[in-house]
Amino acid sequence: MIRLAAKNLSRHRLRNTLAVLGIAVAAALLLDMVMLAGGMERSFERMLLSRGYQIRLAPKGTLPFDTEATFPGAAALSARLRADPRISAAGAVLGGALFTASGDSLLPLAGLGVEPQGQGLYELDRGADLAPGDTAGIVIGGTVAAATGWRPGDTVRIVSGTDPQVARASSGRRLVVRGVVHWLYAARGQRTVGIALPVMRGLGRVAGDRASMIMVKVIRDEDVEAVATEIRRLAPGAEVNSVTTLVARFRTRLTYFRQLSLILGTISLFVGILLVTTLLTITVNERLGEIATLRAIGVSRGGIVRRVLAEGALLTLAGNAIGLLLGLATARYLDGILTSFPGLPAAISFFVPERGAVIRAAAALLVAGSIAGAWPAWRAARAPIAATLREEAT
Amino acid sequence: MVSLLLVLAIQGSPPPFVAIEQRLARALELSVGDTVRVRQEPGAPGLLMVVEAIYEPRSDPATVLRNEFHARFHLSDLAALLGAPDRIDRAGVSLQPGVDPDSAARRLDRLAVGFRVRPSAEIASESSRTFLVVSRFHRAIGVISIVASAVFLLCIMLLKVEERRLDAAVMRMIGVRRRTVFAALLFEACLVALLGAALGIGLASVSTAVINAYYGHRFDTDLRFALLTPGITLFGAVLSLLLGLLAGGIAAARLVRTRPLVLWRRG
Repeated sequence: MIRLAAKNLSRHRLRNTLAVLGIAVAAALLLDMVMLAGGMERSFERMLLSRGYQIRLAPKGTLPFDTEATFPGAAALSARLRADPRISAAGAVLGGALFTASGDSLLPLAGLGVEPQGQGLYELDRGADLAPGDTAGIVIGGTVAAATGWRPGDTVRIVSGTDPQVARASSGRRLVVRGVVHWLYAARGQRTVGIALPVMRGLGRVAGDRASMIMVKVIRDEDVEAVATEIRRLAPGAEVNSVTTLVARFRTRLTYFRQLSLILGTISLFVGILLVTTLLTITVNERLGEIATLRAIGVSRGGIVRRVLAEGALLTLAGNAIGLLLGLATARYLDGILTSFPGLPAAISFFVPERGAVIRAAAALLVAGSIAGAWPAWRAARAPIAATLREEAT
Repeated sequence: MVSLLLVLAIQGSPPPFVAIEQRLARALELSVGDTVRVRQEPGAPGLLMVVEAIYEPRSDPATVLRNEFHARFHLSDLAALLGAPDRIDRAGVSLQPGVDPDSAARRLDRLAVGFRVRPSAEIASESSRTFLVVSRFHRAIGVISIVASAVFLLCIMLLKVEERRLDAAVMRMIGVRRRTVFAALLFEACLVALLGAALGIGLASVSTAVINAYYGHRFDTDLRFALLTPGITLFGAVLSLLLGLLAGGIAAARLVRTRPLVLWRRG
């Protein structure tokens, strides 16, 4: 059956090659859109859970680091949370602008004050980590190391606010580079450094026990919602977000991309169906005489239907195979464009090539392509034998 | 009026004013003259303020998806509210006519550290980076869609012309010249392509209107999310015509090169 379908298709090479190419482009676009539809969320969720912290506290009404706002009682709250037997780690984070001297100017740095006993922002690449209570150390990202040439063991000077009146730094500290780390949520090229929370407060002249965020790691996933509810009661001034709620809010912000993927995915599926239906309808019209002859020598209607459907499936299958490669290549290119959004964490991808997405896209097109052959197959099977043969003979 | 007097009694001085955007006024059912308590964070004492104006902000594509509410304060009131007197995020400088913004920015930048002076054009270019990325993405998707439609159109036109092989055979057998048959088939392909383009432009107009109505309602904005410009319309029509000509030409050339009897037999 498949060999016969392949032979039939090879009778019109140009048109079938074009059809396969058309289906391939439609399949590629469909695959890209399926990847885009779910990829962003999965990528975001994976990034949030990369260190296993399932809960984030931010100032009320904000998302973590969405604004420069801070909330009070942070370190006291994180210490209290660390004492909870259901929680394995919790740590407050304070963000702010820092600088270091670079030649005769200041190099801006993104500063993060952390509690080393509960930080989920970085992973150590080389050197040593900040120890709890280490107020003389600093950890730096690879981009800072590249820009400054700092290495573990170096003593560096970090300043924060600068005073325009006297044209010099208003507060500064000498710190020892403990290690080079990989920042999990940093944007591409962002120069980020980490210091102990009290040091950051001192440099930024932040009064009181304030922080930008608290990260909480719950031992058992099933306890996350219960712990989040309890934290909401403990800290009414903070926005308590589990990964699920953060993903939901992220999804709302990226509604546009999901709707775009739905629209373009539907269009590509429709184009694929239209192409197969048109091609098979014309092919069947051309071969009505041949089909009538087959029917006359005893081939059943079911046999004819199966042959036409097999041709549709074969066309779709060939288009799918090329479309898969084309789709993966274009997804990579499109991902390169979208991940250049300013300020987007480098760990986020928009097009995530997952086996499930590939199978879903291929199956959708294969089923659609096979169904697309149904109308021409029905026409072929219903063709009147005698009248068609007589028409062919004249 | 009653609330205003109450406020005066509590604060001992006239309350500061705030201007709020229309959406916020609707959400909180506020009107001009109402008194509101504005806090930096929940639980903080905050300041009582009188709604002095309700304004309709200019639609901004950069913030429309964030769906945030906005309010405008006098600088000193906001600084007092935030506990950050005499501090600002940014300031604007208007130059005398004829002064070059770049050289002025460089001179001001050298005056002191602690702030950075940049020409407005540079800031505009940086803040539009997000839209440049979206624009590049749209262009890439557009190219893929054009390739898909081009292949689709080529295939359909090829089939459409090939369907006419019996007619072509008859025309050739009764003495019609190859060139005439070729021109007739090409003309037909052109007509089909133009008709398809007209239908496509109609469909695009409808979908543009639907998209703008849907997103305008969803984000409560008069921004336009899809634009069908004369340039795009012309590009679509010309591309469709060119592809129709190309496909029709290829298929017609193949037909007229084939001998009439072969065409007839294949029919």
